[in-house]
Amino acid sequence: MAQTLPIGVLFSTSGPYASLGREGFLGASLAIAEINEAGLLPVRLAAVERDPKGNTEAYAGLCRSIVDAGARFIVGCTTSWSRKEVIPVLEKTGTQLWYPCPYEGFEGNDHVVYVGACPNQHVVPLLGHVLGRFGADPLLVGSNYIWGWETNRIARDYVEARGGRVKGERFVALGDTDIGHIIEEVRLKRPDFVLNTLIGPSSAAFVEAYWQLGEADPAFDPARRPIISCNWTESEIAALGARARGHLTIAPYFQSLDSAANARFLATMRRLTPEADRPSAFFAQAYAAVHMIARGLAATGDADVDHVLAAAKRDRYEAPFGPLGIHAETNHAILTPHIARAGDAGSFEVVASTEQPIVPDPYLARSGPAADRRPATSGEAGAGAPRPPHLRLVK
Amino acid sequence: MNRRLPLPDGATPSFVGQRALIVHRPHATVDAIVRQLIQLGITPECHWPELPAGLDLTLYGAVFFDADLGHDAQFPWGPGACPMPAIALIGSEAPGRVAWAIRHGTDAHLNKPVGGGGIYAALLIAHQAFARRQELRQAVGELEQRLAQRELVAAATAALMQAEGLSAANAYRRLRRMAMDERLTIEGMAARLAGATPTGELRHDRA
Repeated sequence: MAQTLPIGVLFSTSGPYASLGREGFLGASLAIAEINEAGLLPVRLAAVERDPKGNTEAYAGLCRSIVDAGARFIVGCTTSWSRKEVIPVLEKTGTQLWYPCPYEGFEGNDHVVYVGACPNQHVVPLLGHVLGRFGADPLLVGSNYIWGWETNRIARDYVEARGGRVKGERFVALGDTDIGHIIEEVRLKRPDFVLNTLIGPSSAAFVEAYWQLGEADPAFDPARRPIISCNWTESEIAALGARARGHLTIAPYFQSLDSAANARFLATMRRLTPEADRPSAFFAQAYAAVHMIARGLAATGDADVDHVLAAAKRDRYEAPFGPLGIHAETNHAILTPHIARAGDAGSFEVVASTEQPIVPDPYLARSGPAADRRPATSGEAGAGAPRPPHLRLVK
Repeated sequence: MNRRLPLPDGATPSFVGQRALIVHRPHATVDAIVRQLIQLGITPECHWPELPAGLDLTLYGAVFFDADLGHDAQFPWGPGACPMPAIALIGSEAPGRVAWAIRHGTDAHLNKPVGGGGIYAALLIAHQAFARRQELRQAVGELEQRLAQRELVAAATAALMQAEGLSAANAYRRLRRMAMDERLTIEGMAARLAGATPTGELRHDRA
């Protein structure tokens, strides 16, 4: 190996979804600093950082420039469109993207390792938790792009397969905060809960307006009618403060997780990247991605992307959120999601956890909305087959 | 424009002289499609997001459209009514997006990113699927019309039974003979006997 090994860090730390991009950037940077400080590899990792500023059309070119700087491994991208933009570059250059965010599924590229949750690890178990407690008639609201469209479609499928009825579905342009008409619809239709796949300022505006509605009418108290989301972070909930209290989300990582691995991770973070005081799953997954790459490099002794990925698929890394493996067939992470309730001070309190790690099923082939109504075929019951998750209540 | 390709076995299909629409934001994928179309002798025309009003759709041999960000309002035709072979450009395989492309009407698809090939095969498949779709639509239309007129046939048969003292089978045979003599469909002849407007005067090709 050379003295230094370049590693790409491709996140939009400015632009319309900068807060999420910054989480990924800081998580990856922390892991690189930690690995170098501890001398975990015989070489130093050298970050090759590029900021596409949230401009989808800039990703391919910047990915190319990372590869030209000698990097074979890239940690990056937040949105699905940006990931799809860099895939041709990865295919052409034989390089590898570690994608650290939850997404809507229906992809499985050989050059991408999906470290975030796919739908059978986010919206499906979240709906499973909520339907029995609050009712089966939601209202769906989302940002007008693929994450909102597809997550809401899966939710509709899931709800209708269980006799529920979607009381309304609304999409909001990215960045739009004019959501008064949707709150009025919620007030009139009184859904059992609201699935919120809005992102950024739209989501904050919606939660704020819903809180005002709840102040005026106790029927909209989150304890009776919560908002649920698969893409909230600790920082955005902290910015909303008590106005977000009581709403529910799902993720493999929460800052409040009570484990030795998380305590070590938080201590390292405070020491090496003190500016990141509220890490979310987006942060922890980017951090874990760099560590898995480094462990693969250490195990194989070379920087071949196929060798490192093969090593990662054999590995079982103790991430801040628990044991992390990469599923051999799909290149997606095997994850144990937790459902958490927002507290007063921007923290999340875990209320339920899946009993076992959930095997990723990015095409919802075996664990889709109607999975528990399909007869299991032979082989599906074996270890490693995705199954509808069973939740263990914590609170 | 005749969009049917003369495709006798062993012939080499050509699209030379055709025009094609590309409905996709400016992108490397569009550049790749344009390069291939020019090689095939097809003149590409790129539009985004909407097709301009007043476009003469009869001038175009095919449309390539974005399935990722596409929506019905971009097109002057309604869902399922695209008047030319349509090829979806698919990036996201999320079923919601694929379902939209199917609903909108697609005869073939290409996965994004489009590289140095694939356009020619996609055009051939799309033209065949479009031609089959048109033939089926026409055949179904004719059959539906005939089905709608079956009451007239029953009435005409009953009238012949009564007027000429025939059995049901013979009355029907008589009706069919009259239709053949007049070069009409049975339904057309029945309509004429019933004094109805001759909407059923289809060419009775199989008589």
